Amino acid sequence: MNALEPGYLWVMRAHAALGTLIALFPAAIGGIIAHDEAGLPYLTFVVPVLLVSVFTILLRPARLHRAWGYRMDPRDLHIARGVWTRVQTVVPLRRVQHIDIAQGPIERAFGVCRLVLHTAGTMHSRVVLPGLGRATAEDMRDEIRSHIREGAD
Amino acid sequence: MNAATLADRRVHFATVPLRFVKSAPSTLLGIPAAFAFISEYGLEWILAFAAGVALLTMFGNWLVWRRFKYGIGAREIVIESGLLNRNRRSIPFDRIQDVDIERGPLQRLFGLAKVRIETGGAAKDEGVLDSVTLAEAHRLRAALRGGRSEALAQAEVAEPEVESRTLFAMALPRVLLSGLFSFSLIYLAGLFGLLQTFRAWLPFDINDPARWLGLIDDRAVQGYFSPAAIAAVLVLALLVGVVAGAVRTLARDYDFRLTLEDGSRFRRERGLFTRTEIVIAKARVQLGLVKTGPLRTRLDAFDLRFQTLSTGKGSEGGHQSVAPFATDAELRAILDAEGRLRLPDPDRLMMVSKRHVLRVALREVLLPLPFILGAAILFPPALLLLGALPLLVGGALLQRHFHRYALSGGLLFVQRGFWRRKLWIVPVARSQAVELTRTFIQRRLGLANLLVDTAGASMLTNPRIHDLRLEAAEQLSAAIVDQLSGRKSGTDR
Repeated sequence: MNALEPGYLWVMRAHAALGTLIALFPAAIGGIIAHDEAGLPYLTFVVPVLLVSVFTILLRPARLHRAWGYRMDPRDLHIARGVWTRVQTVVPLRRVQHIDIAQGPIERAFGVCRLVLHTAGTMHSRVVLPGLGRATAEDMRDEIRSHIREGAD
Repeated sequence: MNAATLADRRVHFATVPLRFVKSAPSTLLGIPAAFAFISEYGLEWILAFAAGVALLTMFGNWLVWRRFKYGIGAREIVIESGLLNRNRRSIPFDRIQDVDIERGPLQRLFGLAKVRIETGGAAKDEGVLDSVTLAEAHRLRAALRGGRSEALAQAEVAEPEVESRTLFAMALPRVLLSGLFSFSLIYLAGLFGLLQTFRAWLPFDINDPARWLGLIDDRAVQGYFSPAAIAAVLVLALLVGVVAGAVRTLARDYDFRLTLEDGSRFRRERGLFTRTEIVIAKARVQLGLVKTGPLRTRLDAFDLRFQTLSTGKGSEGGHQSVAPFATDAELRAILDAEGRLRLPDPDRLMMVSKRHVLRVALREVLLPLPFILGAAILFPPALLLLGALPLLVGGALLQRHFHRYALSGGLLFVQRGFWRRKLWIVPVARSQAVELTRTFIQRRLGLANLLVDTAGASMLTNPRIHDLRLEAAEQLSAAIVDQLSGRKSGTDR
């Protein structure tokens, strides 16, 4: 199994950091209210949020990143993911309907993008493989595209 | 074709004002109205603000237009979109099912058209070009349709005269009998709702069903919840449920008829008040599902459905009933006519791991246990609920006994359920992806779930195999993937 780009680790951290920032606002306001009303310290809510963020920013992304893996066989794409619930997905390349390469602003900053395979299935109509370098993703797309043609002949 | 297809075209510029006009009623008119309520500024300020919002919206539309590009390559169409989230989609010609051209009143005014590209994928908006000139739309359609493989195009042309043969038909007694099994209490709830609404006009008290039935006349003697009253309610509920099920089935399945036409497609006609008729092309059948139960097995009655692939418009995707109450022999005849599907050899069906029982027991006993004990502290009789736990364990054992699977001759069989027994017959060549899932507990027990995804599958009922031994699951998964990718030819999707 190939690991994802290290950049994706930072994408996940950036997302988590954004979440923390958003959570800090109400925590700070709540702290001020708690101070005025009940005489609690200003940081009553901020400290727990920061403690949780140690987990969501530092620990969790690393575990998630380690859990991700993919392997391109001649005919199938294998994807593994999940820390608590492990999921292994096999997508036969002939089954792919169309392919997206998607990139958000944070992903662009860290030089990674997502490969999204669309199949006709219902549960896995979208199989997402994040954290690929642009060149890798484009190579994979070209490879898969050649299989689509083969499958339709 | 390793050179990337260039996305060098944009949709027509008139799209920018067009989209603005379309969104204007919702955004623009709302703002001044809201503004007028909350502020004390004069009308001119409100108008100026509205103008500002309009300009911003226009600018946004222009940006979206500028960032949306498409291009047609030798064998694919490429669509690039998104302001911040850039997306580049490639749709190979071979996957395109249909190209629709839509023209709304505004678009007609500008001589424009919306082009919708449909593939077999499950998502709705797979490729929408909104909007291009009509000439460009026709050019696109010609280019995209031209690139499609011949087999597909042929399948859609219907021949005028065909031989047909009846595979399955149900006479009235059988429809009624099958109605008894579609017992449903939903209608009972509806009935009570109606009665509740009109109770002022009713000659009896609906909250007093025993008297209503005339079974108990003297309320004072019997006490409020007498066993007779409860029994009366249950009997009544049962009766209503059975009658409602029978009536519904009669209305739906009256004169049910399944014919095979031209050896290539099924035609189903049914219904008492509204007669419906659908055609299922053999090539569209994704899997077979046989439903039955302990009682129906005794009566030699099976409910056969085909899962079909939907293609946008004629939304006949999902599960289509092809024989709601068929005997084993009729079932086999229909499956024979279909060609690829058949019933499994019962001896070859394998049970899942014994630890399945343990896991179900863990879930169904350990989880409620703390709640029951907690409740018992407040209300000691709650301990009686503990008596239900062995029943749950017994249920788990029964479920495992009927949860079986087999992979043989290109078909995957999955059977699940005791009271509502389901048997999926999945042609491996039709499956779209294979997924192995292991939850935290399953990993401790060395178990795995295996799901074969198919087109048109329902989210609720799918041929998932629960709690296989990990090695068995991995072998099965590998075998399915081998069969799936190994075959070179295949016009089937």
